Amino acid sequence: MFTEELKAFRRLGFRHVLLQALNFASVIASGLMIWKGLGLITNSESPIVVVLSGSMEPAFYRGDLLFLTNPAAERYHNGDITVYKVPGADIPIVHRVLETHDGKSRGSSPVVQRLLTKGDNNEVNDIELYRGLDYLERKHIVGKVRGFLPYIGYVTIAMNDFPQLKYALLGGLGLLALVQRE
Amino acid sequence: MHTLFSRINNTSALLSSCVMGLLAAIAISSILIQFFESPIEGGSVLVKKVKITHGRGRQYKYEHAHVDFEVDADLSSLFNWNTKQLFLYVDAEYTNARGVKNAVVIWDRIVRRKADAKIHYAGKQKYHFKDTNTFRDAQAIYTLRYNVMPHVGALVYGVAASTNASVPFPPMVNNA
Repeated sequence: MFTEELKAFRRLGFRHVLLQALNFASVIASGLMIWKGLGLITNSESPIVVVLSGSMEPAFYRGDLLFLTNPAAERYHNGDITVYKVPGADIPIVHRVLETHDGKSRGSSPVVQRLLTKGDNNEVNDIELYRGLDYLERKHIVGKVRGFLPYIGYVTIAMNDFPQLKYALLGGLGLLALVQRE
Repeated sequence: MHTLFSRINNTSALLSSCVMGLLAAIAISSILIQFFESPIEGGSVLVKKVKITHGRGRQYKYEHAHVDFEVDADLSSLFNWNTKQLFLYVDAEYTNARGVKNAVVIWDRIVRRKADAKIHYAGKQKYHFKDTNTFRDAQAIYTLRYNVMPHVGALVYGVAASTNASVPFPPMVNNA
């Protein structure tokens, strides 16, 4: 199946392989630049997240894609859907703000707020998820949800649940990148 | 040019471009509609009774507010082809004696169909309403807000009705 490509390979020589590897690396580098650039513009460490749990149903289901922004000077209001990370836990949680309590702004941080959240599909608020904190602070919030795309993120969930799929996809892409002639 | 691989390649590229174009059209059109629509009128939020007591159990040291209220609104104009659901919530905004500005959601409801969009609710709050300092001398404005959640696109927030005038908190009742 690949005999034609292998013959072309040998004809073009080692330089060709290096060129293809360089193309591959530049694709990865530009992808990373776009991701980090988006993170800078939105002031959020992770401007696109995938919903992982069903605690916001029927609004968000597992696998939906969310677009976040986190302007440093903006207060959050109740009703905003925020993504936050409790210190000590790695998973971002997507819940709606139930309460806000504003303090006076101090030197380095323009907005001082304490927040309480609750998932739409949960009966009680998130106190038990806060690991000892009574309220969330602004620094725990990754961002506020502005936009929404259904189902698209399910690919990443599937790749996490079935790691063979991830390796197969990466392997296939790598092979394709090497044997393409342009 | 005519191999199976290139045919699949071209077809899937066309398919994904069309799907993305359709999603963008849906998202942008529903945003523009919201932009040019008049704000919601005819809604009302009435606070019937407010009572302040001690909290229960561990919460005894905090003052808890119990609010009886009534909301009326007609939100059917918010439903369009891109509306998945409407999230409604009544919140109370006030500044307490320490100067801290608070906003607490006391009631919410999810509306999934246009037929359910005429809201009438008279009763108690759903969630605890407490202040870590005190409610004394404070007054709250109660507002009914909505959040339109689309099938695809940007989330929209708005105000449906409000008490407009502040409702004062009465002094605390001294038995739990």
